[in-house]
Formats: sequence, structure tokens, C-alpha cells
Amino acid sequence: MAVKFFGQFLVEKGVISREALLQAIQLQETANLGFGDHAVAMGIMTETDVSRVNQAQRAEDLRFGDMAVKLGIITGAQLQDVLAKQKSSHLFIGEALVKVGGLSSADLERYLAEFKVDQAKYATDSVTIPAGTPHPEVCTIIVDLTSKMLTRIGRLTFRLESGRLAAAPVENDIAASMGFTGDVRAMYVLTVSRPVQKKIAMAILDEPDVEQESQGILDDTLMEFINVVCGNVAAKAAQLDTSLDITPPLLIEQPGSQQMDARSIGVSFPICFSDGERAELFLSVLP
Amino acid sequence: MKKVLIVDDSISVARQLEKIIAESGDFQFIGHGKNGLEALKLHKTLSPDIICMDMNMPGMDGITALRSLVALDPAVNVVMITSLGGVGDKFKECIKLGARTVISKPFEAETVLRTLRNI
Repeated sequence: MAVKFFGQFLVEKGVISREALLQAIQLQETANLGFGDHAVAMGIMTETDVSRVNQAQRAEDLRFGDMAVKLGIITGAQLQDVLAKQKSSHLFIGEALVKVGGLSSADLERYLAEFKVDQAKYATDSVTIPAGTPHPEVCTIIVDLTSKMLTRIGRLTFRLESGRLAAAPVENDIAASMGFTGDVRAMYVLTVSRPVQKKIAMAILDEPDVEQESQGILDDTLMEFINVVCGNVAAKAAQLDTSLDITPPLLIEQPGSQQMDARSIGVSFPICFSDGERAELFLSVLP
Repeated sequence: MKKVLIVDDSISVARQLEKIIAESGDFQFIGHGKNGLEALKLHKTLSPDIICMDMNMPGMDGITALRSLVALDPAVNVVMITSLGGVGDKFKECIKLGARTVISKPFEAETVLRTLRNI
């Protein structure tokens, strides 16, 4: 029911043991060299260069290869050569499991096929992202998974409108936010009307009626909903080699007054329900 | 009947899990902690057989708590239940630190119970 990692899928299926998985992870760590190790092995960098890059990374948040280019140690073409070598020699978890005897080759083929079918429902559909939005590929994943989760977890029927650049979220009854850190820095805000919040609460709590629930519980379900969306966004982004982490969800009392980073670009995606209720996905993304 | 402690800052997730555990007939819900620090305290006072713990919590997070729990009790059974379960690096980190496994959110009752029964 979620975006998964192949090793996790196999454990959940009961196909592999935790011990085999641990051995496979350890094998991966030995076999999958970092950028610096590959660059040294290819004769592109020296150990001294690697230390210089590591030192520079303490002062600036840049990936190893990008920092090596910035420092003039390697060229853009050499960066691509090392990345290509790293990619072509990568030992995947399924292959590692076969090597440690945790899975047969035939089972690997079979379960990879099953995994693809299981994860097909989370394939990213086309989303209209306004021109000028930073990191459009990550924003596409965010918008797409929000829509899919509103449908699958929230059991809601709605129309997601095209995105437009905006300074702040539109005021609504309630809003919850989460931060993305890592390769992309962004704030995720979901604003909803009270009736929409109740529908999400009914779905999360699996209850036919939430009229007797406290506002605290209703707010908690909204925060949990965006937590699930954002965690799955991080999982999907990881499949595209984009590393994201998330901060705990927060409730925003007055969505329109939310302070955004002055350098960030805001994008609004209105969500319209057939009964006239409204919600909005708002992203504030740093270039 | 195995005793299960739930650690999650979300009350609604704790309620969902408590319901799944109570209806199974195989497990007993014994408590709910809202962060890693509470997990450590409740592990000491309640001696659970299994701890179901979130990763992303305010205060002490689940990874820090997992590390401490394993250091205190190497035989502890911790199942991480998190929206970040599908992030390969996070999953691997939890397994290496000693978690029995990692379940992704949103979860299904069947997956949770199958996992707990395998412990």
C-alpha cells in the first residue's frame, strides 16, 4: 500500500530472512564504492584530492562530485564518467541477496516482477507544474502522490487544478505543514476545510463517523496524512537518486500568514470537491 | 500473549495499531509512548515483548531510540513503522541498528500482524 524498497517488499512477503538481508546489505556496502573511491580507482583523483573535497563539504552542502568540479579537481565530463562507472557497477539488493544465498536467481526474477506490479500504482503520472518552479521533477512527485493518497487513503473524489505560482497558501479552516530537507529544501502545506478534514479523519481512523472526536484527534489525522504523503515522496525520490528527509508535521493556525523563506518560490495547486468544499496543496521550494 | 508497546507521536496511528493488536487476539497492547525518550522509559517499566516505533518524531527520534534500546537490551524486538520505510537507506540503517524489520505507512492490518507473528 506504500512506495517500497525491494528488500522491504521481500521481508514483508516472508521470502527472505532478516539475517540474509543483513548479509546482503553488508555485501552492498563493501561492493558499492563511493564517488571518491571510484575516482581514485579510475586515476581521476588522488587521495589528497578526496580529503580536500571532504574538507570543503564540511563548509558547504554539495554532493562529492559537484564539490570536486567546483574546486577544479575534475571536469564536468569526468564527473559524468565517474557517475556512469558508479551506476554500471552498482550491486543491487536483489543481486546481493542471490550472492549471499538468501534468494535464488529464479526467485529474484519472479519477485522483481511482482514488485513492479505492486509498485506500478505509484508510477508518477503527468502533472502540470508552472514554469519557474524549482526542482520540477520532485514537485511532480509531491503533487502526484498527494493526489494518489487523497484518493487511496482519504477515499476522496476531487479535481486537482493546474499549479500556479503564488506567494502564500490561500486561507482555509486548517492547515498542516512538513519540511523537506536534503537535496531539495521545501515546505509542504496542505490546507483543508473542516468537512474535508473530517473525511480524512474518517479514513485514517477507519471510523464511519468522527463527530464525537476531539479537534486534537482530527488535527492529528491531518498531520498523519501529510506525514504519510511526504514519507512516500521521500521513498519515490530515493528511487530517482534524490535524497530527501522530512521534519515532523506541524499544524498551522493561520495558513495565509505562514512565513516562507524569502528566496523560495511558492506554487499553489487548488483541490476542488464535487460538494463545493476546497483544499489546497501549497509548496514553497528553494531554488 | 505477547505484550506490544507502541511509540508514535501520532495519536491516530497509535489508535489504529491498538485496534489491530486488540482485534488479533494474539497480542496485548500495553502502552503508548510519543517519542524516543518515552520509548526508553516504557521499555524499562513495562518490559514489552515487541515495540512498534515510528522513525520521525519530535524530541528523540526513532533511530536514536532504536540505537539506545539495542544498547540497553540486545534482545529487544523493535519493528519500525514509518512513512520513510520505502527509503532504502533508512530501511537499511534500521536493520543494521537491530530493528527486526520496517513496515511502511500506510500499513495494512494483515502486514502488521504477519510481521508481529514472525517475531
